[in-house]
Amino acid sequence: MEFALDAEQRAWLEEVRAFLAEHVTPELRAELAEHDLELPGGEVAAFRRRIGEKGWFGLSWPVEYGGLGLGPVHQHLLMSEFEYWGVPGPDLTVTSVAPMLMRHGTERNKQEFLPPIARGEMICAVGYSEPGAGTDLASLRTRAVLDGDAETGAWVINGSKIWNSGAQRSTHEWLCVRTDPEAPRHKGISVIIVPIDHPGVTVRPLIAWSGYRTNEVFFDDVRVPATNLVGEANHGWRYITGALDLERGALTNAGDLRRAVDDLLRLARSPREDGVVPADDPQVRRDLARLDADVEAATLMGYEAASMLAEGIIPSVEVSVEKIFTSELRQRIAVAALDVLGPEGLLAHNSAGAPLAGRFERLYRAAPLLRFGAGANEVLRDVIAQRGHAMPSYGR
Amino acid sequence: MRLVPTEEERDLAAMLRQLFADHCPVAVVRGLREPGADRFPKRLWDELTRAGVLELPFAERHDGAGGGLVEVGVLAREAGRALCPSIVLGTLGLGLAVDALGDDALRDRLLPGVGRGETRGVAAVASPWDAGDLAPTLSATTEGAGWRVSGVVRYVVDADLADLVLATALTPEGRTVGVLLRPGDTGRVEQLRTSAGDRYARLHVDATIPAADVLPDLDPEAVRRVALTLRALACVELVGVTEAILDRTVEYVRGREQFGRPIASFQAAQHLVADIHIGLQAARLTALSAAYRLGRGEVATRETAIAVLHTAEAARRASLDAHQLHGGMGYVLETDLHLWSERARELGVLGGGPDQATRWLEREVVDAPA
Ligand SMILES: Cc1cc2nc3c(=O)[nH]c(=O)nc-3n(C[C@H](O)[C@H](O)[C@H](O)COP(=O)(O)OP(=O)(O)OC[C@H]3O[C@@H](n4cnc5c(N)ncnc54)[C@H](O)[C@@H]3O)c2cc1C
Repeated sequence: MEFALDAEQRAWLEEVRAFLAEHVTPELRAELAEHDLELPGGEVAAFRRRIGEKGWFGLSWPVEYGGLGLGPVHQHLLMSEFEYWGVPGPDLTVTSVAPMLMRHGTERNKQEFLPPIARGEMICAVGYSEPGAGTDLASLRTRAVLDGDAETGAWVINGSKIWNSGAQRSTHEWLCVRTDPEAPRHKGISVIIVPIDHPGVTVRPLIAWSGYRTNEVFFDDVRVPATNLVGEANHGWRYITGALDLERGALTNAGDLRRAVDDLLRLARSPREDGVVPADDPQVRRDLARLDADVEAATLMGYEAASMLAEGIIPSVEVSVEKIFTSELRQRIAVAALDVLGPEGLLAHNSAGAPLAGRFERLYRAAPLLRFGAGANEVLRDVIAQRGHAMPSYGR
Repeated sequence: MRLVPTEEERDLAAMLRQLFADHCPVAVVRGLREPGADRFPKRLWDELTRAGVLELPFAERHDGAGGGLVEVGVLAREAGRALCPSIVLGTLGLGLAVDALGDDALRDRLLPGVGRGETRGVAAVASPWDAGDLAPTLSATTEGAGWRVSGVVRYVVDADLADLVLATALTPEGRTVGVLLRPGDTGRVEQLRTSAGDRYARLHVDATIPAADVLPDLDPEAVRRVALTLRALACVELVGVTEAILDRTVEYVRGREQFGRPIASFQAAQHLVADIHIGLQAARLTALSAAYRLGRGEVATRETAIAVLHTAEAARRASLDAHQLHGGMGYVLETDLHLWSERARELGVLGGGPDQATRWLEREVVDAPA
C-alpha cells in the first residue's frame, strides 16, 4: 500500500491546481455566489468550456471513446480539488452516465452519445426518483412502450419524475422507465436517453431548503427513437445500480469537507464579534480536532475507492461506507459551526456581515440532502450488512 | 497513492494467517491465562521464530529479513486477529527501538538474538498514559565505568517474560539516555493483576548498569518516533482484533434464530454490524496510514493521533456491540468473545486513548495554522 502521492500523481495535482488558479476568477466566484449554476452563457459556461478544452470531461475514459485514458485516481484527485475550491467540475453525466454507456451501451449508443458528452455539449439529468418511488426505487412506474421495431420504431413514454436535478440546464434525461410491467420489479426496468426539448416533456421547478433548484418533470406521450434505449431492454436495474455506485463514489470525495474544516479552523482562531476566540475553548478544540480526524479518514476512504477502481474492482461496499461516513460528517461539521459561530452563524448566505459569506449557514441547510439522497443511509447500511457480510435480506 | 495491498503484502498476510491458525488457536490464548499456567507461549514462539517472524524488520547485516514497517503492520494486524500473545509484538518493538536508537555495536549485539527468538523483551520509552509524554521516570548518574539508575517504570507489559526492558532515564544534566533493564536483576518486579492475568508490572529500579547497556544522548525526535511507532503498531494490531470481532459476530448472528428467522435478518442487527464495519474502515485506513508514514521516517504525530482515535473507538464499539448481538452466548467465558474484548480495551488505552490522542491533535491542527 502506498499512502503518499507518487511523482506523477503530484504533478497531476499541480496541473489541476494551476488550471484552477488561472481560471477561478473573481468574476466566476461572483457569478457562482449570485446565481449558482443557473446563469446561461456566463462565467460558469465559459469555465465549463475550458474544462472541455482540456479534455477533462473524459479524462478517465479510454482513448477510443475520446477520453484521455487517465484512470480513476487522476479523476478522484481532480474532483477532490475542484470540490476544495468549490467550483463545478465534471458532473454525473461524465462520472456516472458515460461509464455505464461504455460498459453496457450498444455500439450505436456509444457512437451517438459519448463524443458530445466528452465535449461537454451533452448534459444529462438523472431521472430515477418518482413521487411513489424514492428509496424504493425499483417500484418506479414511468412507463415506456415500444411502438414499432427495435431499429426503426419509437419508445412512447408516460409518467413523471421528481427531484430531477439540473433538468432546467440539461440537454437530455438518463431516464429510468418500466418496460415490462409483468416481470418481477427489478427485471422490467430499462434506461432510455430522452432529449429534454422533445414535445411532451414539461419541467416544473422545486426549490430545496438549501436554495438548490431541482424539478418535477412530466412525460406525456413523449416519443424517442427506439435506438435511444441504453443496452438491452429490461436490464436497466444493473445499469442504474452501477451508475449509482459510481455516483456515490463521485459525490463523496472529501474535498469539500476538507475545505469546510480548514475554513472552520480559521474562523475559530480569530475573535468573534463578542471578542471570544472559539479555539481557546476546550470543547471547541476537541470538536475541531475530532473533525480533522474524520476528514482524514474520509479522504483515505476516497483514495481507497479510487485505487480499487484503478485495479478494476467496483468498490460498492466501500463507497456505501464512504457515502454514509461523509454525509454524516458533513452534518457534524455544520453542527460544530453553529457552536463556533453562535448568532453570527445564523446570518444568511450571501448577506452582509455573514462570516465567510454565510458558507456555514448554508452548509447546515445543504447537509441533510446527501444523507437521504443517492441511497438513504439506512438502506446503504443494509447494503454493507447484506453485500459485505452476507446477512440475509429482510425483504426490502 | 495506491491503497490496495500489493501481492507481496497479501501473500505475507495469508502466510501469517495460516501460521497463527495452526499455532495460535484460541485454546492456546485461553491456556496462557489459566491461573498458575506458564505465561510464555513456548511452542508458538518456536514456530514464529522458525518462520522468521521476529527478524522481519531488521537489516540483513543483523540477520534480519530487511522488511519495513508496512510488513510489520501486516504482522501486527494478523497477530491482533489471532490474539497472539503480546510478548511477540513486544519483542519486535524492543528490536525496533534498539534499531532506531542504538549504535551499530548495540544493534550487532542485540538484533540477531531478537530475530532468532533468543532475547525477549519490551520497549517502555514513553508514558503508558500518553505516548507523547517522553519524560523519563528513571534517573541515571555515571558511576565508575557504568551508570547508577533508579526510579520506577510503570505498566510494563510482560516484564515477567522479558530478558530486557528498554527504558529511558534522565541524567543530572537533563539529558535523556536509554537504559537496558533486566527485570529481576535491576530491581523488584511488582506484578499487577488484570482480568487477563498478571500482565503488567511496576519495575522498581535501583541498580548499577554497565555502560554497554546504556544508550547515551538520545535524540528526542528519534525517541518520539519510536514511541509513536509502537503506538501506531498497536493501532494496527487493534484493527486485526476488531476485524476478528466483526467476523465472529456476523457468523454468530447468521446462525442464531429467534422469532423463526436468523437474527442477522433484522435491520437493527444489520445496522449495528454496518456501523462496526464503517468504524473499522476508518480505523484500518488511518492505522495503516500512520504506520506507513512513520516507516518513511516521518514523525507522524497527527496521523498517529488520528489512528488512535479511530481504532480505539471502532474497537470499543465493535466489542461492546458484539456482546449485545451475542446476548448470553457472548457473555459466558466458554465462548471466548471476552478475550477479544479485553485485548480491544487494552490496546485502546495503553499509551493514551482517544482522549489523549485528541489533545495531540489539538496541538497539531487547532494551534498550528492549517
Ligand atoms: C435536492 C434534491 C436533489 C435530488 N436530485 C435527484 C436527481 O437528480 N435524480 C433523482 O433521481 N433523484 C434525486 N433526488 C432524490 C433523492 O435521491 C431521494 O430523495 C432519495 O432517494 C430518497 O427518496 P424520498 O425522498 O422519496 O424518501 P423516502 O423513500 O420516502 O424515504 C424517507 C426516509 O425513510 C427512511 N427509509 C426509507 N426506506 C427505508 C428502509 N428500507 N429502512 C429504513 N429506513 C428507510 C430513510 O430515513 C429515508 O431517508 C434528489 C432529492 C433532492 C431533495
